[in-house]
Amino acid sequence: MTPAPSTGAAPASAAARAREPARGGGDAYEDVLVASHLTRRFGDRVAVDDVSFHIAPGEAYGLLGPNGAGKTTTIRLVCGLLSPDDGSIEVAGIDVTAGATRAKARIGYVPQEVSLYPDLTARENLAFFGRLYRLSGSALRARVDEVLELVDLTDRADDRVDAYSGGMRRRLNIGASLLHRPELLVLDEPTVGVDPQSRHAIMESIRALGSSGLAVLYTTHYMEEAERLCDRVGIIDRGRLVAEGTRRELVARVGERDRILLSASGSLGSFAAACRSMEGIDSVDVSDSTVELLARDGRLRLPTVLAAASSAGASVRSVEVVEPDLEAVFLHLTGTALRE
Amino acid sequence: MTAVTLAWTELRRAARDRTFLFFVLFLPFMVILLIGVTTSGFTQERVAVVQADRSAMADALVAGLDAAPGLRVVRATTRDAGVQRLRSGEVTAVVLVPAGFSSTLQSGGSVVVPVLSTGEVGSGGSTLTTIRSVVARQAATVQAAAFATRSVSGTFDQNHARALALQRESPTAGVRTEVVDSASSYLPLGFSYSAPTMLVLFVFINATAGGAAIIQTRRLGIFSRALAAPVRPRDLVLGEGLCYLTLAVAQAALIVLVGGLVFGVNWGNPLAATVLVTVWCLVGTGAGLVSGTLFHTPEQASAIGPAVGIAFGMLGGCMWPLEIVPAGVRAAGHLTPHAWAVDAWVTLLSRGGGLSDILGPLAVLSAFAVALLGTATLRLRRSLTTA
Ligand SMILES: Nc1ncnc2c1ncn2[C@@H]1O[C@H](COP(=O)(O)OP(=O)(O)OP(=O)(O)O)[C@@H](O)[C@H]1O
Ligand SMILES: [Mg+2]
Repeated sequence: MTPAPSTGAAPASAAARAREPARGGGDAYEDVLVASHLTRRFGDRVAVDDVSFHIAPGEAYGLLGPNGAGKTTTIRLVCGLLSPDDGSIEVAGIDVTAGATRAKARIGYVPQEVSLYPDLTARENLAFFGRLYRLSGSALRARVDEVLELVDLTDRADDRVDAYSGGMRRRLNIGASLLHRPELLVLDEPTVGVDPQSRHAIMESIRALGSSGLAVLYTTHYMEEAERLCDRVGIIDRGRLVAEGTRRELVARVGERDRILLSASGSLGSFAAACRSMEGIDSVDVSDSTVELLARDGRLRLPTVLAAASSAGASVRSVEVVEPDLEAVFLHLTGTALRE
Repeated sequence: MTAVTLAWTELRRAARDRTFLFFVLFLPFMVILLIGVTTSGFTQERVAVVQADRSAMADALVAGLDAAPGLRVVRATTRDAGVQRLRSGEVTAVVLVPAGFSSTLQSGGSVVVPVLSTGEVGSGGSTLTTIRSVVARQAATVQAAAFATRSVSGTFDQNHARALALQRESPTAGVRTEVVDSASSYLPLGFSYSAPTMLVLFVFINATAGGAAIIQTRRLGIFSRALAAPVRPRDLVLGEGLCYLTLAVAQAALIVLVGGLVFGVNWGNPLAATVLVTVWCLVGTGAGLVSGTLFHTPEQASAIGPAVGIAFGMLGGCMWPLEIVPAGVRAAGHLTPHAWAVDAWVTLLSRGGGLSDILGPLAVLSAFAVALLGTATLRLRRSLTTA
């Protein structure tokens, strides 16, 4: 795959892109996706509960949440595969519930499960999905070749999909959603069950697509993916969007503090007392043989902390400095870990 | 357009599936070939003839029996000698051509041609059928002869009236042979009977087994992914229907062509046969789509589907004529579409019927097709939009 001339997808550039005029010649719109107060129930269970978010052109938006959080349901609502009990979705200025067919032509949907004919070749699969999006003839053939190139499967284009590796299938699964040049690419956990190398390739190609102006909605329960790929992240838990923002904004919610984890023995009590009186240490937690500190600029505090340990008579076996990440944000917001 | 795309893609997949091709294209021919071989020569049933009338007409009857496919005539001098051969299993039936056979017929009387058999079920059944049809044919020529003879005299109007009267009487050509047996109609000869019933049987079985393909496609997530494209559920239902219809028509056409060209099967009135095959293909399509929505796994569909198809085929007269089963079983058989299709074929083939003669069965079959297609469409749509 061709990596994007990536700029690290800084939030500022996403905002700038958002102000560019919309492509596609359709209804005028500012955000490619506007979801307002989406609610969807299955029986008594509220799978999606009053969820609102929006995605600008060229912006990558991540929905991060554990199993059963409502990611797939949200995506199915966005793609018009499910109707909301409440709320509305607009894609490229088109109301998805009212103008489903028109809206669907603007969306590229990559389902969570690989949905391809295993007994057809990559080329045949792409031709099939291309026809569903009203492509035909030489335009279809040319576009199939382009997409094969894009997902790096040109060499294997005429092999049957059941002879593909998991990563190749995932790539083709993405390719099938790009044929009609959508304005919004919706990916539902596209890297599940994929080896790290293929995962890297998939991430890079999504990033490349994003930098070409495509808006991306990406669900995952891998925090690293959301951090790496997405301009903005929405954290979803039990159907509710509990927080939203850039990585920096989200992390700021738990405070810009690092965790210093020390595994030590000896007089931990007096060591902890020494730490509490230190400049830049906000909290100290002692349990068994570990001491956990919340510190601003953790790495800078480390020499002082270690000196205090030896003078208090505690012997330190290992030290770890954990910078705040979305995992910490999730833990902070929901009280549970992202991955069980 | 979407429907055609889907149908085309599914057909392409089918064409690559060897197991599927075996069942659709090869197996029906194996069965037809087998039946064709057994009924057209290799195994011949022996029939003893006791000919008490030495007229040309009686000779013609005996020659007709000998020439009939699957029959070989051996002579017996007396009734007792014939019965002895029957008991020893040397022959499967004894035909007694009575004295005065020719003179009675020529004078317009009716003749009983007794046929003795052991009453055992088995090949005897088809032998009796064959004998019956040979006698029927003979009776028809006698009638024609009688008509000609009588027409020599009288005015045109009288003759015309007679001709009409005789035409109206002509079913009695068949009825006369019933003196031999009490069944109400006779059946076409072995092979001509089996090829159409095999068509009925296999088109249906393959359709129900083919339901597996729909289940597989659904489980592959193709349908729900397709619905994310600007595609309506009804296009997908139509596409699947088109795919099944094409397969059914292809299979039926192949059976008709190879049956006709290679085995000399007579399919009767072309228009009526075409309509009948088409309606049956629609019934098959409906059954296939229903099977695709009824079962949960492809394995269930491909195991249970054919079992149901075979059971219906047995009940509906595809394996043996419903004429030989008790009335209750025959009535039960008519709960299956098969019985109506077989009835229509019998009408076309044994009575030389045309389209107007099978309108009844066609109406029933169309109702079956509409009910099955309707049920399938509703179920498929629901499974597409809620999956
Ligand atoms: N068709 C359905 N019928 C009933 N309940 C459903 C249906 N689809 C989803 N749910 C329920 O809605 C909730 C959210 O499911 P959803 O599939 O959206 O979660 P998810 O975030 O995609 O999870 P995962 O990471 O496991 O894919 C779950 O509790 C699930 O059981
Ligand atoms: Mg999911």
